[in-house]
Amino acid sequence: MKRLVESSGVEVAFREVDVVTTGTFGAMCSSGAVINLGHADPPIKIEKAWINDVPICHPGAAVDLYIGATAMSERQPFEYGGGHVIEDLVSGKEVELRATAYGTDCYPRTQIRTHLTKDDLNQFYLLNFRNCYQRYACAVNSRDETVYTYMGKLLPRLKNATYSGAGELNPLMNDPDYETIGIGTRIFLGGTQGYVIGEGTQHDPQNRLGTIMVRGDAKKMNPEFLRGASFTRYGTTLYVGIGIPIPILNLGLAKKTAIRDEEIFTNVVDYGVPRRNRPVLGRVSYKELKSGSITVGDKRIRVSSLSSLKTARKIAATLKRWIEEGEFYLTAPVERLPLDTVFKPMRQTEEVSFVANVMQKAITCKENETLQAVAERIVTRSVNHIVMVDDNGKLTGIVTSWDITRALAHGKTALADVVTRRVITAKPDEPLETASKRMAQHNISALPVIDNERKVLGIVTAEDVSKLLGR
Amino acid sequence: MARILLRFSESIVEEPIIAQIILELKVPINIITAHVNSKGGEVIAEVPNEALDKVVKAFRQRGALVSIPKLIEVDSEKCISCGACVTLCPVEAIKIDEDKTVVFDKEKCIGSICSTCVDACPTRAIKSVKQNNAEATTNSKQ
Repeated sequence: MKRLVESSGVEVAFREVDVVTTGTFGAMCSSGAVINLGHADPPIKIEKAWINDVPICHPGAAVDLYIGATAMSERQPFEYGGGHVIEDLVSGKEVELRATAYGTDCYPRTQIRTHLTKDDLNQFYLLNFRNCYQRYACAVNSRDETVYTYMGKLLPRLKNATYSGAGELNPLMNDPDYETIGIGTRIFLGGTQGYVIGEGTQHDPQNRLGTIMVRGDAKKMNPEFLRGASFTRYGTTLYVGIGIPIPILNLGLAKKTAIRDEEIFTNVVDYGVPRRNRPVLGRVSYKELKSGSITVGDKRIRVSSLSSLKTARKIAATLKRWIEEGEFYLTAPVERLPLDTVFKPMRQTEEVSFVANVMQKAITCKENETLQAVAERIVTRSVNHIVMVDDNGKLTGIVTSWDITRALAHGKTALADVVTRRVITAKPDEPLETASKRMAQHNISALPVIDNERKVLGIVTAEDVSKLLGR
Repeated sequence: MARILLRFSESIVEEPIIAQIILELKVPINIITAHVNSKGGEVIAEVPNEALDKVVKAFRQRGALVSIPKLIEVDSEKCISCGACVTLCPVEAIKIDEDKTVVFDKEKCIGSICSTCVDACPTRAIKSVKQNNAEATTNSKQ
């Protein structure tokens, strides 16, 4: 479609093309499966359940369970989770179910352990409450350390970037006004036919961040298009394959489905900042993202995808074949996805502390001072940390009372031999919790607070944190 | 060229062993990566195939542990060609080809000493294999 519109124009493309198929295959954490186990004898009203040691939700009734993709195994957390359980069941593997209950007159049993395959289940439905994001942010990390996120492993100081999404192949991007997508739209889901059952949670159409809620018979799915996955130090998830056929009902849809990667933009976002509104460092197109490198400011950053474009293409091609062979019939939605939904942030009724709220003025020293002078300052100012700065007030090191004690023990007399140059720092808008975690992690008792130019703004100490907690 | 992983213990790390062997055997040894400090060192080096045996012997005589690093292994069944590993590779050994398949260049990969890509793989398709260690340790004791 895209090439046809380019070469022959929208009018020709509208006449020639009946349907455009799309596809995407990415990690979609808001996924899961509903299963019904049938009743045991004596019967049990399950209170808590585990499959292969992964805790399974028990939303209601007796033997209906929901396997959440991000629930993690109690024995192998971060490596095996709900997404893997779903994949194993789809693959026909046997899984172990354990459950406990409080026991009632009608459901007397208090525990059960059994082995099941998908054939033993009455229902096994994939039921995903938010899938298929129209586009997604491109992630980088400005911190001095590697961070592990749901956007993958992000190297320090913007050394790499990651993104997700199929760009011009994304289902919702090809019908951005949802003319053909809504409740009842038949789709490709996990290798079989499924349905859109409404807009997904966090559906944000005005910002081109639409999502869908989907359902499909997982018994008929194929593990090639439904894959459990692990993101180190983040947790487990499920890769879901989705394809939506867009019927070219009007000239407008011919034009919209001709969308190209260079017309789809997303923000480069700093995932090194642990806040809801992470700083936006730039704007890039999916064309740049797919090229393997992006430019942010004057810096070239290598970028890799977390979703599989290869599988996304296979999904679009499979859907096309199904339609051509008469195995798949398009449906009109009963109700279209809404265009006016707003995605609000959480209302918080309790205050959260940030570094800026507790930081104090830093007592500083300069490179050319004597150890004696710094030691004196520790005593007179009654602090344990002296921050070393240059003439512009930028951080160059830190000296602690412990460093001075050690210097005395080892007979060192020069300040340069005592100062720590690799300083672990905090940012003012960082939550106090992450700063305090960093202190514990590095076994230190204070963090100089710096701005983006490394200018020292203050210092936050473990003492300040404990005072706040003790309040 | 063959690739070898050299491990130097704290007691021998200060000695110019690589230089000595290059001079003695007149063999070009190309250092690919080196992580060395006062506690010891790990070096991956390339050696011409025909000289491999005598170079390995020379290193072992001087107390270095030598192993042929088995590089990373990729399970093509598990790999979904997402590409999460691509930009993490410091030697650009992972590429995406024309049909968007992720391909590994085993020649370029520096293997288990790096392993940066291993924990970034969502489907855990990449394993770094250090199976030659045991063999190297036994040999050095002889």
